[in-house]
Formats: sequence, C-alpha cells, structure tokens
Amino acid sequence: MRGDDLQKRAATAIVWLLLIGAPYWLPAIGGYTELGTRVVVLGLAAMSLNFLLGYTGVLSFGHAAYFGLGAYGAGMTLRYLVPSTGLSVIIGTLVGTIAAAIIGPMIIRLRGVYFAMVTIAFGQTFYFIAFRWNTVTGGDDGLIGWTRQPLNLGFATIDILKSSVAFYYFVLVLFAVAVGIMAWLLRSPFGRTLLAIRENERRARFLGIPVDQHIWISWVISCCFVSLAGALYALLNNFVDPRTLYWSQSGDFVIMAVLGGMRSFWGPLLGAAIFVVLQDYLSSQTQNWMSFVGLFFVLVVLFFPRGVLGIIRRRATA
Amino acid sequence: MTQLVLFNVFNGLIVGAFYALMALGLSLILNLSGVINFAHGGFLALGGYLAYMMIPYVGFWGALVFAPFVTAILGLIVERVLIRRVYGRDPLYSLLLTFGLAFMFEDGTRYIWGAQSLPFQVPGWLMAPLSVDYFFLTGYRLFMVLMVAIAVAGLFAILTYTRLGMRIRAGTLDLETVSVLGVNVRILRNLNFGLGIYLAGLAGVLAVGQLGLQPTIGTSLIMPSFVAIIVGGLGSLPGTLLGGLLIGVASGVTTVFFPSATEAVMYIMMAAVLLVRPRGLLGEEGRF
Amino acid sequence: MSLLRVENVSKHFGSLVAVNNISMVVEPGELRAVIGPNGAGKTTFFNLISGFFPPTSGRIVFDGEDITALLPARRVWRGMARTFQITEVFPELTVRENLRIAVEVAAGNRLNPWLSRDADGEIRARIVELMDMGGLGEKADRLVGELAHGDQRATEIMMALALKPRLLLLDEPTAGMGDQETYDITQLIRKLHREEKLAIVLIEHDMRVVFHLADRIMVLAEGEPLAEGTPREIGANEAVQAAYLGKAAA
Repeated sequence: MRGDDLQKRAATAIVWLLLIGAPYWLPAIGGYTELGTRVVVLGLAAMSLNFLLGYTGVLSFGHAAYFGLGAYGAGMTLRYLVPSTGLSVIIGTLVGTIAAAIIGPMIIRLRGVYFAMVTIAFGQTFYFIAFRWNTVTGGDDGLIGWTRQPLNLGFATIDILKSSVAFYYFVLVLFAVAVGIMAWLLRSPFGRTLLAIRENERRARFLGIPVDQHIWISWVISCCFVSLAGALYALLNNFVDPRTLYWSQSGDFVIMAVLGGMRSFWGPLLGAAIFVVLQDYLSSQTQNWMSFVGLFFVLVVLFFPRGVLGIIRRRATA
Repeated sequence: MTQLVLFNVFNGLIVGAFYALMALGLSLILNLSGVINFAHGGFLALGGYLAYMMIPYVGFWGALVFAPFVTAILGLIVERVLIRRVYGRDPLYSLLLTFGLAFMFEDGTRYIWGAQSLPFQVPGWLMAPLSVDYFFLTGYRLFMVLMVAIAVAGLFAILTYTRLGMRIRAGTLDLETVSVLGVNVRILRNLNFGLGIYLAGLAGVLAVGQLGLQPTIGTSLIMPSFVAIIVGGLGSLPGTLLGGLLIGVASGVTTVFFPSATEAVMYIMMAAVLLVRPRGLLGEEGRF
Repeated sequence: MSLLRVENVSKHFGSLVAVNNISMVVEPGELRAVIGPNGAGKTTFFNLISGFFPPTSGRIVFDGEDITALLPARRVWRGMARTFQITEVFPELTVRENLRIAVEVAAGNRLNPWLSRDADGEIRARIVELMDMGGLGEKADRLVGELAHGDQRATEIMMALALKPRLLLLDEPTAGMGDQETYDITQLIRKLHREEKLAIVLIEHDMRVVFHLADRIMVLAEGEPLAEGTPREIGANEAVQAAYLGKAAA
C-alpha cells in the first residue's frame, strides 16, 4: 500500500517536472513550444473525457461538441464582445458547460453503445450550426479576424500573444487548476460513487445512489473541462473552424484516453502526447495520413486495449 | 409554391429512403452483435465505386446486381478478420475499431479514385422527366424509391420467412438461448453482418446516381442513419425505416422554408423524441 | 404499524404473468422467508418490493408511505436494503472500499466533494465495526473479486447493513455455498436479526436454513401465493408438500 502511494507521488512529481520544463527540453529534442501547448490542451480534453469514460464508466463519443462550443465561445467573445483573453476563456467554458447541462437529461438514461450513438448525434447539431450560420461563425472557412490578447493582471501585463512560452505557461496554469479539481473530486465521497457506478451500476443503485443524477453531474463536470480545453485550443490557434466540433474529433479524444490508459489518471495525457506527435509527423510525411491514423486506431484496439500505462502497470504487478 | 414543396418532399423521401436503407443495415448489426458500425458509410461508398468500375463491363443493371454482392463479401471478410475480435468486449473497442476502419475506407477510396466527383452513368431513358409540370419526377427517382421499397420488403421477407432470418430475430432477443439451441452464433453474426453490408452496398449504387460519386458520400450519410435509428426506436427495424423516411421528409420540407437548418432539423427531431419518448417512436421498453 | 405492506401486486411481462396478486405484511423485527419451486416468481416479487421495476398493478406501502412508484435509491433512503441472488459487489475494489462507499452514502455524503476530519474518522470507525461483525477484518485490503464466494456474500450483506436499513431483503443468501459457508452466513443472519432487531425477508432454497431462521414462511407457486404460516404450519401443509415435492421430483 505504502510503496504504491510513494510510486504514485513520484510519478505525479515527474509529470509536473516534465510539464513545467517543456519549453526548455522540447526544442532540444526537435520539438517546439506550440507542440507542447497542443499536447497540454488536448491532454486536458482527453483527461476530462476520461473523468466520464474511465472513472464513471460512461461511453461518450460526442465530446468534440463541447470542445468546439468552448472554442467558438472563446473565439466569438474576442471577435464580437471584448478583447479580453480571460473573459473569452470563462465564456467559452460556460457555453459548453451549459449546453452539456441542458442535453444531459435527454441522454443520461441511455447506456453503452446507445449513449455513444446519441452523444455523437447531438454533437453533429452544433457542427451544422457552426457550418451553416456563415454570417456569425464564418461557416466552413472558420472564425477569423481575432487574436488572443495580452493578459492584463492590473499590476503587470503578460504578452501571451507574442510569446509562445508565456502562452504555454498560461495554459499550464489553467490545466493545473482543472486537473487538480478532477483529482480532488475523484478522491472524494462523490468520486467514489462514480467508481461504484463504473464497477457495478446495479449495486450502486441499490446502495441508494441515484445513478442517473450522478452520471449527469459527472457528464457536466467532464464537459465543463473539455470546454475549457476547447477555449484554450481556439486561443492557441487564433482560429476556430467547424472541424473542432466534428465527430471524428470525438474519436480522437477517445483514442487518446484508451491509448494512454483509461484506468490511470495521467494516461490520457500520455495518449494525447503520442497521438499529437504521431499526427504531426504523419501529416508532414504523407497525404494519406488519415489512413495511417485509422490503421493506428485498429492496431490500438487489437493490441493495446489497456493502453500504455495499463500495460506497464500489468507488468509491474505480474 | 405547391410544386416547390412537393418537389422537396419528394426529394426528402428519396434521401430518407437512403437513410433508411443504410440505417436498416446498421440496425441489423447493432441489434444482433451490439456493434455500431462506423465503417458502414465506407462500405456504402465502396458499393458506389465498385459499380462505377463495373459499368463499362456489365452495364448499369449488371453493376446493380453485382456491386452490392461484392461489397457484402468484403463485409464478411472484414467481420471475420477484425470485427469478430471485439465481440463481448466493452463496446468502446468496437466503436474505435470501426471508427478507424471508416477513416481507412474514406482515405483509401480517395487514394484510389481521387477526391473529385466522378461521372456515374445511369441509363438515359431513366433520367427523362415523366411529366412537364412535375419535372422532378424523373424515372430514375421513382426507380430508386421502388428499389429501396423492394430491398426493404426483401429484408423483412428474409427475416420473417427464412431460417436465417428467424435465427437473426431470435438471436436479437436472446443470443444465449439461440446458441444453446445449437445455432452457430459466429456464423450467424457473420452472415448478419454481410446482410447489413449488402444493404449498404445497394444504397451506395443507388445513391451515387442521385448524390454523385465522391469519397465523403458515406460519411455524409452515416450520421443521419444514426438519427434514424434513434428516432425510430432502438432495436426496432420498422422503427428504423420510419425514422429514416421521417427525417428525410422533414429535411426536405425544411429546405423550402429555412434552408440553413436543413441538416439541423433532424437533430432537433431527435432531441424532441428523446425528451418525449426516450425509447424512440417504435422502440420497445427496456431494450437499451 | 406494519413495516411493509404489499397489497395485491401483479407483474406481467408481455403475456407472461410472473407474479399474480400477492399480498404480504411484514412486522418490525420479523424474519420472514419466501419459498417456492423454481419459477414461482420469488425473485420477481423481490424486485417489485425493492423497486427494480414497477408492478403492473397493486400497491406497496413501507412504514406507512406508499412507495409503489419510487426509484430504488429512494427506497434505500427510507430504510430498505437488499442483496442479490448472484452476488453484486464492486469486484475491483477492496472490502474496505466497498464498505466505505456504502457507509458514505448512508451518512448522506454521496454528493460531498470533501469530508471533514471528524466525519472521516466516524466513517472509518463504522467500516471497522461492520468488517468485524461480518468476519471480514483480516481481508480488509483484499480485492473483493478475489475473495471466496462466502466472503463476497458477507461483504454484500455488510454493505446492505451499512445502509442502516429497517428492512433487509436477502435473495438466496446461501446460493452456491458449501456447508461451512452456509452455516456461517446463517449465523450471521441470525445475529443481525437478534442483535440489530432488523426485519428481514429472505428467499431461500435450503430448507434447513429456512426452518432454522424464519418466524413466518410464505410459499409461492407459479406466481401465486399458496400458503402462509409459521414453520410448523407450513411443514404440515399438504398443498405445500404436493406443490413442492411434485415440482422438485419433476
């Protein structure tokens, strides 16, 4: 027990050291800071999805919708409302969270593949709105004509627009807050009811846990942080287009979680890192990177269903 | 105005018929094997491209017969080699597997046949309008509706009267009992998958005559098929058929009055159905 | 006032009538057994009481309140807990964690994002108490899925008990157990009944257990009530013997 605890703490410390040092060690191995920011942002999305997928046992295949809503919320705030990065993040996150809260009651009674199917289909609604509502969203060309703004803290201004390193740390701070809240929730009585639902829904129900209500809360929390990730993604690119809402983006999040290991807290971040680097590499090498990404999905399902961390853990206990 | 509405209702009906044909195949596989086949659209596109390749040799009619058949055989192989491995595992894995396959199909067809739309030859006499007032009533359109109707009737006949069909229906209700009774479930699932893919292939051949032949045709049809299944009721094939036609017509009508909501309307219908009647229009209670 | 009143409940599945017009009254502190041949509708009857599904007709009153339409979780909050014929636990969690979830829910913490030090201390103490009562103390940190069947069943019963129920529903608590395990579970049930003054309704196949434990017995056959009475009355009832032995021999 105690050795386990120590190991976990050491792993967490290493993850944070790597994340904090990324702008310094990434260039040394041929990477660049924006790549690190992408990993952190998509890692946050995958970890948020995993709050629902890995820790509540509910299969959402439609998280791109809330990711995209967060992105559009942030982009449209900067484009139409106020030139404030902070407000854009808050509004983006709120937009996604509110949409998830409203859609929640329509889907929480469904389970398994059916839940997956309905979440995907709902996601497409937002895709078509973004795609068709040209005058406001920019349609297929995306929302342009805006950039993230320097952070004004009152006593000082941090230029996260020009300095990609400063922006990386801005993202990392929000990442830390979000991930910290999720870790804290998972160790609380509420978090344990989610584990209970994952492990045995029937038992949970007959222990006096109103399962649908708890799934709804878990869904909203998960979508809230995925919207935050979406808002940050928009700021990273200074651009949003309907593809952030598209169902294949949801699939990417799921594969990141599975690839890294759904049963481990940091697994999805590792999965995101592998996925982002791979996609970055493939799309620079071949026109047909989509085929390779598809093949990658198939190979992961057939040969790495437990993910990288799942395999390592299995080795360790064997 | 009446003409415009009629035109779009009819258009919607045709599109709805494709949704239904595709959704019926998806439903068959989902009900018996618990797998959402994301690659279904890929098979549909493949059916279209195979027909395109065959037409110079066997003509349109030959392609209409052979292309779905070849597609189905490919489906049998894919099930045998890949899909079979994820039965009985968390549904997550079948989703990811077919998701990856869908990517490979779309990109593969683009690699082989190119991204641009290809010309698809339909017999000329089928393309002529039947009436001056109702110019949209071409023979080909009526023909498509007729073909879909025949395919659906055939499917229900197979399910009702053949031994395979009865086993599929029984397996949908209680796979364990069926297997205890001595039915080879592996073969049953394989053939059922093939049947579903046959419908996709057929839809593909018919659809390209109407919607054009391009690699994304499958992906553009799969989401509405999901919606058709959800609206019609999970686990109910007649529901799926009804759902497909309904959302097709609804989109058609919306095109007249509010064109930018053409696609969104079906998702709004889905939300309404889930709110009022969570199991779908014809879905049985407790099936999900 | 009676603790549980089941009034003329029926359950139909399509054309199949699984439970037909059964009534039952359970007094506080009573230990009631429900027996009957396979397919008599015992588990369906249990599922109706615990809210697994709603009855087609009839009424269920718990502690003076009509609970016919309540969700399972709400019945638990009013003091009704159950176990299942096939043990339902959280297999990939330890005994301690299994109990912890039940204790926390019972203490009203299910939505809490944190626990005070005091509350945490109380919960830990309660878990230890429950483990000792169930004879699980030495297995506290083992995964429940790895335990012997009898210990899994004991964990399940202690989880139900953690909810501080006034009525405990046990669906075949000794199913699939050897003699020693059956004896241990029987002793545990007797202890709960005597020391905790708990009303218990149990379905059981093992007649030794039934006649050893029950205050009163209800017999079901083919979805309908056949007889009800003390163990002695039931033992002497010819209709019961005919239905039972006839079915058992077939």
